[in-house]
Amino acid sequence: MIEVRNLMFSYSKDRQALHGLNFTVEDGEIFGFLGPNGSGKSTTQKILTGILKSYSGSVSLFGQDISAAQGKEFFQKIGVLFEFPYLYANLSAIENLSYFASFYPREQRRDVGELLDTLECKPDFLKKPVSSYSKGMRQRVSMARALISNPRLLFLDEPTSGLDPSGAVLFRKIIEQERKKGTTVFVTTHNMVDADLLCDRVAFISNGNLVALDTPKRLKEKNSNHRVVIDYLCQGKRETKTMESSELEAGIPFAHDEIISIHSQEPTLEDMFIQYTGRRLS
Amino acid sequence: MGKGFCALFKKDCRMLASGKFFFMAIGFLALYTAYVNLGYIRFMQMEPYHVYLYDPAGTQTEKSPLVQTVSSMEAMDSILLDDANGVGLDVSAGNVQVVLYAGAERIDNHRIDYALSLLRPSGNYSPEILGINTPEQKSRKEITCELLFFELAAVGFLGIAAVLFKEKGMGVIRVHAILPLRKTWFLLSKLAVFLLSDLVFAVLLTLLNVGLSDGAAVLPAVLVQTAILSLIMALVGLFCALILKDFRQFTLAYLVIAIFAATPVFLSANTPVKLDWIGYHPFYHVYMGLKNAYFATAISPAYYVGSAGMIVVLFSAVQFVFGREIGKEG
Repeated sequence: MIEVRNLMFSYSKDRQALHGLNFTVEDGEIFGFLGPNGSGKSTTQKILTGILKSYSGSVSLFGQDISAAQGKEFFQKIGVLFEFPYLYANLSAIENLSYFASFYPREQRRDVGELLDTLECKPDFLKKPVSSYSKGMRQRVSMARALISNPRLLFLDEPTSGLDPSGAVLFRKIIEQERKKGTTVFVTTHNMVDADLLCDRVAFISNGNLVALDTPKRLKEKNSNHRVVIDYLCQGKRETKTMESSELEAGIPFAHDEIISIHSQEPTLEDMFIQYTGRRLS
Repeated sequence: MGKGFCALFKKDCRMLASGKFFFMAIGFLALYTAYVNLGYIRFMQMEPYHVYLYDPAGTQTEKSPLVQTVSSMEAMDSILLDDANGVGLDVSAGNVQVVLYAGAERIDNHRIDYALSLLRPSGNYSPEILGINTPEQKSRKEITCELLFFELAAVGFLGIAAVLFKEKGMGVIRVHAILPLRKTWFLLSKLAVFLLSDLVFAVLLTLLNVGLSDGAAVLPAVLVQTAILSLIMALVGLFCALILKDFRQFTLAYLVIAIFAATPVFLSANTPVKLDWIGYHPFYHVYMGLKNAYFATAISPAYYVGSAGMIVVLFSAVQFVFGREIGKEG
């Protein structure tokens, strides 16, 4: 679906944003693009969505070089959720969606009411101007805007930003549903929970360089110390023991009355990011 | 082009309506019309300076009926005290003595010449009258031309910038970068909305203030000039709104542009002030184009070529800054 080879981009002579990125995104994959502020995430997304043009290297989407595929057909196949909910504040949710939908062929559009219902938007607000909505509600309408054209490739920039926990769960469910339909999803995020739960593969970007690319599970496993922490009760006393996971192969090798919990000491995705880039995601 | 452009056009109309732009335009139209019909034209039709004559011997037999006779110098003093612009002529001593309250020297000379001319009206020259307009028609065309120029150069320009700043603030310009539409439509629809609203404004202002038949006769030429000025100002407004950060910065630029565009043009075109460099001022030519349209005077083809060139250059500049704006960081 996406193939990026030796992608470089400079905003000016002394401000190189990307230093030769290489990656591919498969059809129907949820691909996470993780990096701190100013690392080149947005620049990459802008190149992939055809907004920035003067890059070097090659970028192909839908099997076609992006420089040759900038027409109407290209934009009909993509949906983009920006980091901020960009909507007409004087128009209602329904009016905003009807306006943005009007640029796509009728047979491609989704039903506005149904979509807003899926995103659990409050019905009382749908005819009121967007200026009266909460941040979470605006984010839901923005997501509806990105989905209105049934895109084959969905770019999501910080999709769960501004949402409460139930909203974040709903968004993750919707993204999963999109993937089941065959949509490819390119997620740019700071949120490690989103990346871990959603993405098939993640790429870490730092200072315009791709420093790691793999599935979240493998990234964590590769760097795991393979230890487990066991909480247990022995003669009425609570004890904790840390041991190599291989030591458990033949069963629990110490006296105990009851096992309370066993936790693997696998690093988190954020630990991995810090290890690869030396920077925190913030 | 059809559907996408229509959607943009409809949305821009809604943006203008929600920003009370049309309401404001109707308000300005009413204000200008009231000013022209209830103020300006009446002022221009006002009688010139009153002339009072004290002639106890009745020597001034040829005097104009506009001269009012007073019975004594005390009465003359009392009248001039109330009418400080009036001119008194005292011929009680045989020769004519002018009595007046002093003002500006040049205007006082004019008042004196006028008062003396009324004593010998039959000896006045009868000048050859040029043009076909009556003084009222001339006044109406002149003031309508000035008001239309002001409206297009200052008010419409502010309107388009206000709409674009709103869209910039909401971030929606960036959304249009990933929609399946030609990016220039976004600009063209705004130009079309403002052009259309300016043309409607010009039609109404002209018909209401110049008169139905006189107005209709000059309307085609006036609409061509309106379109030129409207496009130029809308493009300048778009350019400023795209390169400037916020509306506060824009208001400063607006003041400079409005002063730069309007003041020397009005001074040079409507007062005896002559500025040697005014020929290099682009808006002077646009203003004169509009004035020539109202007075049905021929306009040089070079002016149209220059205007078209200016519109093309401005549109290219706006396209460039628009491309930069949609690629900006969030």
